[in-house]
Amino acid sequence: MNSEKKRHRIRGKEIWQYLFCLPFLICFLAFTVYPTLYSLNVSLNQWNGFTNMEFVGVKNYVQILTKDPLFWKSVVNTFILMALSTPTTVFFGLLLAYVLYNLTRGKRFFQTTTFYPYVITPVAIGFIFSYMFDWQTGLINKLLTAAKILDSPFYWLQNPIAIKLIISIMIIWRYLGYYIMMFLASMTSISPEIYEAARVDGATSSQTFWKITVPVLRNSIFFLAITSVIGGLKMFEEPMLIFSGWGSAFAGAAGGPNNAALTVMWKFYNDAYRLDTRVGYAAAESYVLFAIIMIITVIMFRVTREKD
Amino acid sequence: MNRKIVSAIKYVILMLIVVIMIAPVYIVFMMGTYKSEKLFLGVPWVPSDYLMINIRTALNGGFLRSFANSLIVSVCSVLLCVFCSATIGFALAKYDFKLKKLISGVIVVLLVIPTEIGIVGYVREMRTLGLISTYWPLILIWGANPFCAYFMQSFIGDSFPTEIMESARIDGCSEPGIFLKMALPMIRPGITTVAILIFLWSWNSYMLPLIIVNKVNLYTIPLFVSTLSSAFSQDYGAIMCALSMSILPMLAVFTLFSKSFMSSIAAGALKG
Repeated sequence: MNSEKKRHRIRGKEIWQYLFCLPFLICFLAFTVYPTLYSLNVSLNQWNGFTNMEFVGVKNYVQILTKDPLFWKSVVNTFILMALSTPTTVFFGLLLAYVLYNLTRGKRFFQTTTFYPYVITPVAIGFIFSYMFDWQTGLINKLLTAAKILDSPFYWLQNPIAIKLIISIMIIWRYLGYYIMMFLASMTSISPEIYEAARVDGATSSQTFWKITVPVLRNSIFFLAITSVIGGLKMFEEPMLIFSGWGSAFAGAAGGPNNAALTVMWKFYNDAYRLDTRVGYAAAESYVLFAIIMIITVIMFRVTREKD
Repeated sequence: MNRKIVSAIKYVILMLIVVIMIAPVYIVFMMGTYKSEKLFLGVPWVPSDYLMINIRTALNGGFLRSFANSLIVSVCSVLLCVFCSATIGFALAKYDFKLKKLISGVIVVLLVIPTEIGIVGYVREMRTLGLISTYWPLILIWGANPFCAYFMQSFIGDSFPTEIMESARIDGCSEPGIFLKMALPMIRPGITTVAILIFLWSWNSYMLPLIIVNKVNLYTIPLFVSTLSSAFSQDYGAIMCALSMSILPMLAVFTLFSKSFMSSIAAGALKG
């Protein structure tokens, strides 16, 4: 009797919550967990993607950490690009969201138009930027020479420093609207009475921003900062596409001038699928990147927790 | 007086930002209306008369096929992701069970783990399953998206009252019945947001198609765009036109849905 009742309960009610979880969990196990573990296994082998794997242990990792200066160059590049773009985007995203939040007219217009770049295919963005900064036909050089700021066209895409700045501008341009949107979303959860009280106390707009908005949105800011740091470390298409779209002169430049734009994910792609077929080695590279990302995430968690 | 000046300066700066955001796209759209030879004579601020011919060149260059491919892939990805994330979101938000804590925890951890580390294994898995020359690899990857699951969980938790479930149960409604007939209509704004985001992300996805798709007739829009300069060699007018045609659908979709998208993002994600 008792077990009958229990079985009925399981059949009738208890089982549905698990069934509801099932589609996601199946996809998760099949297309996230399995490939990730498989990649870990691949990273311990020498493998070109087709023939039999040859187990080499941690040899790939040793080689990456000690004998591959290009990998470390790509790590440094990635960090520079991230440092140039991420804090700027997060800060201006927050600031502009604050300005828009207090706007009486045109709020949705500004919100929608700043979000447009995020909607555009990144491939097209690479194309647009490589056109704009092209030395001969590009818009920027045309405007600068017309305004007599430059005497002759500047080789933007061939200069290792300029190229990093351009990629950062591209990333800021693309993501700013996304951050404005996300910050605005979390600002609407702040109760208006807090702002009202601040106004009654005679707080200025910048005081309200630093003393109320920033502390109240601490969790959102932290979440968006972490996800954008991770996104920045995975940077791939933005730097790559600036060299593959416009002007065929750059078509063969894998990594940009002197590899100044090569990011870790780009190197991973080159090693595994484009310039080479060292799939095992590339898989190890992606795991080193994963380790770097995890270390940074843990550090960021620690730092913010200590402040609380 | 002082207040008015500050407000005016604010609007001027905002308009400047809008111009910076839109100008590059505007220039591309304008360039699409030019004949290549005339393109570099000046800055193309105003449209020219070559649009129809450029459109024809782009269409003959395989635009429609890539567009159809992208549409199929994105729509299927949206259906799969909405189904998986709405069901798990419902279970985690409205039921109590043993594994609940573990599953929610895994989803939160997944938010910070880059899925790209599995890409080597994923490509191999798809090859073993014989799915390389199909749409499937580009669709299945969206089944377990942690952001959407997390978003649906918090959205359903806030917008679908548990009392309704109780009274529906007393009326003899089954659990899937509650989900389909009562929860789904109420969480529609959340579903719209997930749908728009996944449509956007899968439409713009580049790395996976680049590695997996090896047949020209399966090219998605980003792959089509990345091969533009070799496909139309020196015809920059046609390239820009094809580029505009690739961008336009997403801009249109977003503009149409922007209002409900923004309000449900505000309702669902990122509290405090």
